[in-house]
Amino acid sequence: MSPRARTLVYVVAAALAVALVLALPLGEYLVKLLLQAASYAIAVLGLTVLLGYTGQISLAQAAFFGLGAYGVALGTTTLGLGFLAALILGLVVATLFGIALGSSTLKLGGHYLAMVTISFQQILTLVLTNWISVTGGPDGIRNIARPHLPGIDFENNQVYLAACLALLFAVGGLVALLKSRRLGLAMQAVRDNELAAGVVGINTFRVKIIAFALSALLGGLGGGMFAGAFRYISPDQFAFDDSVVLLTMVLLGGVEAAIGAAIGAGLLILLPEWLRFLKQFYLAVYGAAVILIMVFLPAGIWGLFSRHRVWKPAAPIGPLELDIEAAAGTLLSVRGLAKHFGGVRAVDGVDLDIAQGSVHALIGPNGSGKTTLLNVLSGIYRPTAGSITLNARAVAGLAPHVLAAAGIGRTFQNIRLFHSLSALDNVIIGAERPGSGIAHRAAATARALAALGFVGMAERAGELAASLPYGHQRLVEIARALAGHPVLLLLDEPAAGLNLTEKQELVELLKRLRGHGLTILLIEHDMDLVEQVADRITVLNFGRHIADGSPAEVLRHPEVIAAYLGEVPSHEAA
Amino acid sequence: MKLLELDAVAAAYGAVQALQSLSLGVAKGEIVALLGANGAGKSTTLRAISGLLRPTRGEIRFEGAPIAGMHPERVVRLGIAHVPEGRRVFPGLTVRENILLGASNRRASRAQLGREADEMYEIFPDLLRLQGALGWTLSGGQQQMLALARGLMAQPKLLLLDEPSLGLAPLIVQQVFRVIARIREQGTTVLLVEQNARIALSVADRGYVLETGRLVTEGSPGELWDNEEVRAAYLGGKVTKAA
Amino acid sequence: MTVLLQLLFQGVGIGAVYALVALGFVLIYRATNVVNFAQGQFAVVGAYGMVVTTADLGLPYWLGILITLAVMALFGALFNLGVYYPLRNRSFLPVVISTIGASIFITNIILGVYGPEPSMLAPMLDAPGISLGNLFLDAQYLTIIAVTLALVALQYLFFEHTLLGKRMQAVSQDKEMASLLGIKVGWMIMLTFIYSAMLGGIAGILVAPILFVSVGLGGQIALKAFAATIIGGFGDVPGAIVGGIAIGVIETFGAYYISVPYKDAFAFIVLFAFLLLRPSGLFGEKVSQKA
Repeated sequence: MSPRARTLVYVVAAALAVALVLALPLGEYLVKLLLQAASYAIAVLGLTVLLGYTGQISLAQAAFFGLGAYGVALGTTTLGLGFLAALILGLVVATLFGIALGSSTLKLGGHYLAMVTISFQQILTLVLTNWISVTGGPDGIRNIARPHLPGIDFENNQVYLAACLALLFAVGGLVALLKSRRLGLAMQAVRDNELAAGVVGINTFRVKIIAFALSALLGGLGGGMFAGAFRYISPDQFAFDDSVVLLTMVLLGGVEAAIGAAIGAGLLILLPEWLRFLKQFYLAVYGAAVILIMVFLPAGIWGLFSRHRVWKPAAPIGPLELDIEAAAGTLLSVRGLAKHFGGVRAVDGVDLDIAQGSVHALIGPNGSGKTTLLNVLSGIYRPTAGSITLNARAVAGLAPHVLAAAGIGRTFQNIRLFHSLSALDNVIIGAERPGSGIAHRAAATARALAALGFVGMAERAGELAASLPYGHQRLVEIARALAGHPVLLLLDEPAAGLNLTEKQELVELLKRLRGHGLTILLIEHDMDLVEQVADRITVLNFGRHIADGSPAEVLRHPEVIAAYLGEVPSHEAA
Repeated sequence: MKLLELDAVAAAYGAVQALQSLSLGVAKGEIVALLGANGAGKSTTLRAISGLLRPTRGEIRFEGAPIAGMHPERVVRLGIAHVPEGRRVFPGLTVRENILLGASNRRASRAQLGREADEMYEIFPDLLRLQGALGWTLSGGQQQMLALARGLMAQPKLLLLDEPSLGLAPLIVQQVFRVIARIREQGTTVLLVEQNARIALSVADRGYVLETGRLVTEGSPGELWDNEEVRAAYLGGKVTKAA
Repeated sequence: MTVLLQLLFQGVGIGAVYALVALGFVLIYRATNVVNFAQGQFAVVGAYGMVVTTADLGLPYWLGILITLAVMALFGALFNLGVYYPLRNRSFLPVVISTIGASIFITNIILGVYGPEPSMLAPMLDAPGISLGNLFLDAQYLTIIAVTLALVALQYLFFEHTLLGKRMQAVSQDKEMASLLGIKVGWMIMLTFIYSAMLGGIAGILVAPILFVSVGLGGQIALKAFAATIIGGFGDVPGAIVGGIAIGVIETFGAYYISVPYKDAFAFIVLFAFLLLRPSGLFGEKVSQKA
């Protein structure tokens, strides 16, 4: 099914569902349950974006739900606003708090983030409970208004439910669409491998803030609809336990897909109803169910049904445009570069000049600081001292995504692909780096396919990155860097783990890249490979460079032989 | 009978096949070197032997008994000590505590352990004055010595060493390898993974060369170095006629 | 001045309870790298253990304490087997959710049996306390402080002077290496859960007579103990104790001088400040390693 056809089917199904809700005689009790499920599902979709797509935990979704609800409640009662104006007020407040919470991810992740969100949740609950003059305190707020539209009787619960469902379908569709858009891919890249995401040009901090903002917005939207639905709210509906419930919903349904939110919300609203026969113990069973879900359904219910579909590219694949304006002179110049970790001087005063269009190899024993140097050049580490100049621009200490935008592309020694995405999506993310000159998705896809074709991987574009064999993952990683149209390509041990045939193919690939005028800095242990492709070699040992020159000179340098290459061993043990 | 035998062992990390049908043997009293490029499967081999990684196929026998898939806590009780890559010294424990914990695979009184730890300072004199220092404060060379001492406290019949030269200055590397030679003299068999083929072959009796999880060739140090193709492709020693 | 000292005494007393729960957090975190969100419920189980044994069954106090501690040990073991162990090889999120599930489970089992009304317990000691001039040192609070001090000292001796303690430390620092040395990692983690549950239980036993025993107790204590661990520096044992006592003192003073309804908010405000300004906590990361 084409995307267009799929959208059509979705819209028709949504319209049908809404029409059914309007037409069928649903009991008042069922309508209330469905109202609750629909408004919760909207909030859970926020968690799909935040946790599912972006991999950030939040235990404060009920707080955002509450902000939206109190926005509508206070707006339509105390402030005398219309429903829509009050809802927008709630959404703005929720989103602002979402952004504030998201900014804490600059420094924090994992448990700390969980703690920040819990704290926010607790403080909000305390404020809602104790700021009685504004929020009404534990008694809550009554007589919340619903929207007024001529010709539509929102006062009828079933009509209001239809509106909630329509909104849920709209938001769900948008969240599903987001997944394959540029922002959605960037979010998944941050989730799968934050380090690599930065290096391919994604401003990871910004993406995380947007994810928090969207999540808060959807939380607020769900809360606003909830307030309108029940016309009465109180602080205990938006407490920590409810945040847990929302989180459980998204995990139960499946975090990977928007539909998971609907499944999870629907099920957990209905489940307690089905468990009513257990009387006072039904919530205990619910808690046990949460544990069992975690143990037996790691990908949620939707995870049981969804499977990555492998496809092969159909359209003819164009050639990869790589050519760089031929310019003489030095592309990258490094002076006195140092990176210390506590007392360890991993890089200790390195000078390096890389000529335009050359292949420059960096060799040295394991632990000599080569990878650290690459990490400094690509912005993963801030240098302790020294300067880096790229095309006459001082770039030392810039963030990875800024350096990527300046044209530095790289691969990693232990391959860092976005493992849950297809090979093509990995490379599309590379193609969409800021400054690559790609304006829209069609162009990015064409370029990504071309890059995959260039490394000989076009056939496997539709496979999941994690399922590719090692050698192919390396090639996909190189394609991801190439698709960003870099001016300088940093390769960290590209031959590691390759067999002889694959190594020979790599040599050919590197030669072709050099033929296109691409400048390459290469870390490699395989001297045979280095000798075949390198124009120049720099040798590092103990974070300092010990030799520099053409392969012929360097490989004969006595200090290099002693420190690294070695001679035929004498058999008197040292 | 060989002390250790691997028979068609295969191992994988998730979808990535790291070892494909590797067979090798280590006789009692030998130092055997496993050589090859990064990613060739050398460390994986050691991890499969010590039980950190369960082989997907194949047999591993130690003193004739199968050990493939056995938990590391049991493997070390049989007499195989694994000193992994990066030393893995416990950063928040002192040097002496690190050494004492090396004997966790066997029963011994606290006093007995204390005496054995003192003996370690004879082999590793540098550690004596550092015995109260926390692990993370040690330099790379000191950490390597500590990791070796901790490995020896297990009183292993077979010592698995992963990249003992990693990140050490040439002088320190020589010291480390002198200790390795001495360990063998005292009767411990050593299986050594090294990227630095030159130094490894200087102490080894035999070497195996791996490529992408497969055995390429094996032989005595002399044989391996005399084979120009092997040397060029796998041992990193491209320079044949040093000027 | 008297008021100040009186508040300080009370703050340290309640803070000691937070410290005990925080200690349980830290130990489990160091052994498993997972934050146990059900740690507060351990205290609740301990408190209800006392309700069952002394109030319901009418057993003497000392016997109630012994039985409760034994139950806590068993409970810790079951918790490990049911909640952590099946998920030990997964990332932190599923385990965190699993402990949250456990917390819901425990809360509602107790709620199902005892209902939401708080239970009352007789005081642990007959003596009301000691008067020092105008200062009144309540016996309950004195007991809490004394027990906490004793436990901290015992734990210090255990970790610093026994080989078993060293093995548990080794497991918390590098599980793979520990198993390579022959340390029984699974068993060490089991011991950690058992001990941690007993610590939580003791906290519950100690607060049972001074607060009303209810299921809501766990959530509040747990969140403050969390805050304490972060203020002290995550994973740091002395930090957890100092952090716990700091939180106790801050909220006692805050409640007296600023606002009673917002008493519970002070801990979180301090926590926020620490998270944003000094996430490594008071004692920072002691073990620094190359990235």
